Amino acid sequence: MTATVSINALSHWFGDFQALSDVSLNIDAGEYVTLLGPSGCGKTTLLSVLGGFIAPTRGDVIIGGRDMTRVPPAQRPTTTMFQDYALFPHMSLRDNVGFGLRMAGRKRKERHRRAGEMLELVGLGDAQTARPHELSGGQRQRVALARALAVRPDVLLLDEPLGALDLKLRRAMQDELKDIQRQVGTTFVHVTHDQEEAMAIADRIVVMNAGRIEDEGTPARIYRAPASLFSADFMGEMNHIPARLSGGQALTPFGDIPADGPEGSRVVVCVRPEALSTTDGPLSTGPSILRDVAFFGTHIRVHLEPEAAPGRILTAHLPPDTKVSQGDTLSLSADLAAVIMFPVEE
Amino acid sequence: MSRSAEQRRGWGFVAPALLWTLAFFVLPFAVMGAMSLATLEGRTLVWGLSLANYAELAEKAYLWRAIMVSLEITVTVTVVSVVLAYPLAWIIAFRVPARWQRLALLLAILPFWTSYVVRSYAWLLVLAREGVVNQTLMTLGLISEPVTLANTRFATVTGFVHFFVMLLTLTIYANLIQLSPNYRRAAMDLGASAFQTFRHVILPLTLPGIVTGAFLTFVLCIGDYVTPQILGGNTELTVPQVIMVQLGRRADFPLASALAIVLMAIVTVVYLLSARWLKLDRL
Amino acid sequence: MRLVPWLYLGAAFVFIYLPVAALVLFSFQESNLPVPPFQGPSLRWYADILGDDDVMQALAHSLMVAAGSSAVACVLGFFAAYGLARHVLPGSAFLRGLLIAPLTVSYLIVGLGLLIVIQRAGLGLSLMTAGVGHVVINLPLCFAIIYASMGAQQQNAERAARDLGADEFRVITLVTVPMLAPAIAAAFFLSVTLSWDEFIISFLLTRFDVTLPVEIWSMLRSGLSPRLNAIGSIVFLVSVTAVLILEILVFRKRRP
Repeated sequence: MTATVSINALSHWFGDFQALSDVSLNIDAGEYVTLLGPSGCGKTTLLSVLGGFIAPTRGDVIIGGRDMTRVPPAQRPTTTMFQDYALFPHMSLRDNVGFGLRMAGRKRKERHRRAGEMLELVGLGDAQTARPHELSGGQRQRVALARALAVRPDVLLLDEPLGALDLKLRRAMQDELKDIQRQVGTTFVHVTHDQEEAMAIADRIVVMNAGRIEDEGTPARIYRAPASLFSADFMGEMNHIPARLSGGQALTPFGDIPADGPEGSRVVVCVRPEALSTTDGPLSTGPSILRDVAFFGTHIRVHLEPEAAPGRILTAHLPPDTKVSQGDTLSLSADLAAVIMFPVEE
Repeated sequence: MSRSAEQRRGWGFVAPALLWTLAFFVLPFAVMGAMSLATLEGRTLVWGLSLANYAELAEKAYLWRAIMVSLEITVTVTVVSVVLAYPLAWIIAFRVPARWQRLALLLAILPFWTSYVVRSYAWLLVLAREGVVNQTLMTLGLISEPVTLANTRFATVTGFVHFFVMLLTLTIYANLIQLSPNYRRAAMDLGASAFQTFRHVILPLTLPGIVTGAFLTFVLCIGDYVTPQILGGNTELTVPQVIMVQLGRRADFPLASALAIVLMAIVTVVYLLSARWLKLDRL
Repeated sequence: MRLVPWLYLGAAFVFIYLPVAALVLFSFQESNLPVPPFQGPSLRWYADILGDDDVMQALAHSLMVAAGSSAVACVLGFFAAYGLARHVLPGSAFLRGLLIAPLTVSYLIVGLGLLIVIQRAGLGLSLMTAGVGHVVINLPLCFAIIYASMGAQQQNAERAARDLGADEFRVITLVTVPMLAPAIAAAFFLSVTLSWDEFIISFLLTRFDVTLPVEIWSMLRSGLSPRLNAIGSIVFLVSVTAVLILEILVFRKRRP
């Protein structure tokens, strides 16, 4: 019902294009992992390798302690939930969900019972004889989930499972997916390009870029202390402040910050918009003109141009009750704990 | 623009094609229907509402026989063509690498575009007493005397199957590649063997395409005069051959019209039987 | 087991190309019979038919009928498609069905119906009547192809043109036709392919001036002959050329 997954030094080429380069990853049994990254980053290729639809050029895949690298999809303890769901349009929901058991030669009665249970689990218990085309997008997504879980896989692979749903439904389904995963205890590997979805759902996020793993860890860790500039930017909006190291300090127009690194090298100092506030801190924008102000409900988003660095626009999120308007002058500061720094490769 | 002016303009665009179809398709068809109810007395045509021509179909054995021959040949051709074309379409869609598929398909249906006359003649070269097949078999020492292949029903069916295998390969291929590859992946992921995937998923999903292709095959096959005339010879006559005999030797337009109406009726019945799966708009 | 699909593919290609190969190969036969063993190659039969006035005339007739009827079918089909796709007309589903209907009727019956009407009307048979018949069978195809390609994208471009002050004539000539050019050309070449070697309608509706398939038909009475192989090869070559042009056009349409 659940298993560990271990990916060792996986590389894959499509002709001349290297889709995966030296990817290694260990996933615990029962863990909910999301593979996050922009399109073309290799996340879907990695999922296809796990599912057995692509044989990797190099490296191996161990599931539940058994080498699965060259085992066909049918014989793996994995099932895949496809982006377009791939529900069989000519079969009822019950037959769709019972398909895997039918292939395994189970009796009709057992299939129907199990299909019923699974449809119940995803909240479609009373639509057993309906056809896929009668369902909404969200309902189809649930049937696909039920079908993939009906064969009691150790590992469930989800390829952008919420991608076809509108934003509101997507947020609702995130909670439901997480909930179902807790109930069944199966290891879930979920591919997405939506960082909010990843944060909402995952025990652990694996950020991928250009065929490599950039970063992996809990959502909070990756958001607050990303391992790379790419990961920092991908997880959410980030202010970039270029600086140069001198005497153990990064010299920025907004104050000097303690830093390690070779003398004279260039760095990027990063601050999230919500880390900037009106309370005093060691990094301060100094008097800055508000170029525009927008109300977002949970916060007020402002763009400000500091007098200390004309032409550089910073973004900040202020508490929703802040009284500010365009053209005001304001000084915002950030705490050192909220500041991260990356060397600039030259 | 007002609604009625807008409509008038629309009719203006549609009118030429519509009038053409009415004048040269619907009207001839109606006249042919009326003709089938007329009779021939000596050489003069007598219009009327007589069912004599249709009664003749039941009375004269050679007419009834022609209908049966046509049906037998058409059903055989349709079944054989589907059975041969499906694997071919499958191989091109799923075995041939993507970059060669277009070429493989183009090559597989290129001779489709030759006329019935030339294609049937070409088969005659292959099947004739002195033709390619007999000469090859004799050279190989497999037979000592030429086998009669031409001027048989076998030759007619072969010529037809050749044509319709190409047509069906095209329609079935088009059907197969528009299926999401994830259907096959999902079925195999859930433990289905290659055969089970075909039997439970791909075949039901392509059934409308098969039925559509088979219907086209049926319509084109039962109405063709050239292939049975060139390849089948006069050993047994199909309905189109009998129609042409009526037109030529006897100038019996009423009987020819009645036979044409019967052909139409057969096609209509087959259409109604297969309408549930037919997707003519998807061609 | 892995070889089975490739063996099947190979066998299918042998079956499909066997008659074509026999046709073309023995068109280069030296002797009088187009059957094995092959003697040659010789171009004598090509020289023979190129010098045969009847054959050359029939070939010209075929090309004329094909080009003329396809052009008429394309124009009629285009206007009908434009009218039905861009104007709201009552019973448009029925009209579409009516325009497509000749596709489901065998050519023999189309030809027979026209023959009866022409004879009743006391008109003579000629290349013109055969052309009329070919328009009847090609119009549904042209209409269907062009109608299918009149999508929302074209419609928005037409609306934009109208919005910018173009009248209907200019919308059609400056926007619709250029945008639909690949589909219109595809319809035209498909019609040419079907019409150029069509037999039964031409056979029923022509009398003194005949098209190439009818000429071939009358030559068939004297049995197998390398002359027929040579003519057949030329007919095949012309069809293949039209299909290749069609293929290139369709390809371009798919990858804009």
